[in-house]
Amino acid sequence: MEENRQKIGLIQQISVLFILGIFLTGIITYGTEYYVTERNVKAQVENLASQTAREVTLAVREYPAYEWLLRYWYENADTLDIEYDAEYWRNAITKEKCRVFSEKHPDLQLDYLMEEEIRALSDEDQKLYAEIAYSWFITRINQIKRANKIDFLFCVVVRDPYDRQFFLFSAADEGAKRGTDYEEVYTIGTTVTVSETQQEAMKQAVLKDAHLGDAGKYFDYYAYMGTLKDDYLLLGMTYNISDIRSTVDQNTLKEVSYAVFHQIFLSLLWLIAIYLFVIKPLKDIQKSIRFYIETKDTETTVKDLTRIRSRNELGQLANDVKDMTIEMSDYTNEIKNITAEQERIGTELSVATRIQVAMLPHVFPPFPNRHEIDIYASMDPAKEVGGDFYDFFFVDEDHLCIIMADVSGKGVPAALFMMASKIILQSVAMLGRSVSEVLALTNEAICSNNQEDMFVTVWIGMLEVSTGKLVCSNAGHEYPTIKDADGDFRIYKDKHGLVIGALDGMKYTEYELQLEPGAKIFVYTDGVPEATNADGEMFGMERTIDALNEVKEKDPESVLKNIRRRVDEFTAGAEQFDDLTMLCLEYKGKGE
Amino acid sequence: MLNTKTGIYEEKAVISLEGKLDTLTSPELEQVITEVIPQTNELILDLEGLEYTSSAGLRVILSTYKRMNAKNGILRVRNVNPVVMELFEMTELAPILNIE
Repeated sequence: MEENRQKIGLIQQISVLFILGIFLTGIITYGTEYYVTERNVKAQVENLASQTAREVTLAVREYPAYEWLLRYWYENADTLDIEYDAEYWRNAITKEKCRVFSEKHPDLQLDYLMEEEIRALSDEDQKLYAEIAYSWFITRINQIKRANKIDFLFCVVVRDPYDRQFFLFSAADEGAKRGTDYEEVYTIGTTVTVSETQQEAMKQAVLKDAHLGDAGKYFDYYAYMGTLKDDYLLLGMTYNISDIRSTVDQNTLKEVSYAVFHQIFLSLLWLIAIYLFVIKPLKDIQKSIRFYIETKDTETTVKDLTRIRSRNELGQLANDVKDMTIEMSDYTNEIKNITAEQERIGTELSVATRIQVAMLPHVFPPFPNRHEIDIYASMDPAKEVGGDFYDFFFVDEDHLCIIMADVSGKGVPAALFMMASKIILQSVAMLGRSVSEVLALTNEAICSNNQEDMFVTVWIGMLEVSTGKLVCSNAGHEYPTIKDADGDFRIYKDKHGLVIGALDGMKYTEYELQLEPGAKIFVYTDGVPEATNADGEMFGMERTIDALNEVKEKDPESVLKNIRRRVDEFTAGAEQFDDLTMLCLEYKGKGE
Repeated sequence: MLNTKTGIYEEKAVISLEGKLDTLTSPELEQVITEVIPQTNELILDLEGLEYTSSAGLRVILSTYKRMNAKNGILRVRNVNPVVMELFEMTELAPILNIE
């Protein structure tokens, strides 16, 4: 029985897949969520920044003489006396400047001065106006900064190669310190050198009107506002997005955990379903099969399988296994019966073989008192009962009848036919008829009731013991071999008659041999010359004669045993299909 | 191993044998012949390809002869090789078989 090859459960295998699925869902959700939010944040910032830029631009353009103002601020940055981040209800410097200006020029409207009107003013008043306008403007952009929650809002003037920024104005939160140092809100005219990233960002802004740079926690935005003299005017904004980022991260995490949890819940649901609908019935089927293998208990197995209620493929499988179990059990019973039957037939056949052998004279020497002759015979059926036989018996005091015969076919039919032939031959021979008459009468008897068209070849000899005269007749049988007293064995080509059982009304001829003391006759069936070795080669008559002559002076028993030995050597274990039947008679004569 | 080929023509039927005719294969030949006999009055066995026949094969041939005789038909045997011929002669079946 094969060892249990189940090393891992189906549920574990599926669980592993589900766990992989959960991981994958987590990663994909995180990635998608992050990417989408990132894009949204960027788009929002960009949108906000461009709006702010527009707002600042509009704030600048509220001054009809904004072009003059910008240029004046740029050119006179170091001489202007600016009041930054003025709170008009507290601080009076700009208010005072306004009052002075209004007294000097009561006809002019301070917040709506045209460029021509300004140009008509004295240098001192031009400066005064520029200072007032700057102060107002700063307050305005401070409001814009606060309203839009911008971390830095400033306007710089740059020129190729963008390595330095000239701060024209910058917005500050309430209470922030103004100055030219790092970490202070730069005052007008502060010039700083900038990093290469900033340079590139500014260059892009000039080329494309605007540029948003991602610096991790910050987004830097530059908007191009036009030229100032030969230089570029850029509005800069910096948004601190670390707050947004952390919110995004939290949201993403929440989304991911939700997706993963969802997936885990579904997976558990699936696992339970798979267990109930697949694994459990499958295990039940498997258990039944194992039970059947171990106990061969068909009844219980069928009962267990019937209990599996699935209406799907597994139910069908249980049904099929059930049918198979029943068929297997039926088949096993059938085989058992057949085997028993075969055993019975086998036993009967071996009994039949024993009876057959027992029917032939098999006690040697058969006639211990007859010193004139020595006779030996043997029959070895190839497989089971065969159709060969020999026989010898005294018809009267002086006449010994010898028969060698071979029935067509093999097995039980041949054996039955052989029995009949043997009995008829002996009965007829005992009547004292001549050998040719014995064959003819036997032929009549057999032909009268031979439905199966079987036949038997017979060589018959009648030895007159007192004289050594041997009268023989041959009904389709192999040639006998004769050894004269002083000679070798040789084939004696006698005249043949038709096999017995073929046609009725046949006549047989007979011939006479004179045996001198020391003469031998050897008769056999075709099993001897047709013994076949593994190469398909036959033993043949030549080898038979040679084997006879090797022991030609020995007694009949030795002669037969030598033939047997030679045939066995020749076939060397190749399976034989024909019986091996031989008989040897030695005539010793009266004198001995 | 035995192969048989049967051809039935107007008045005669020819069965060609090829291989070995022994205890195992002669029932096959007997079956073929049993089918052919009612259809013809002249049956020809062509033994050109027959290498060997055992006594079981001879029984079938003898039986065929008898059955053809019984219906006043004729059995002819042709192209018999020396090995098989020797057996026909030994058993004296040769004279009755109309060997050509």
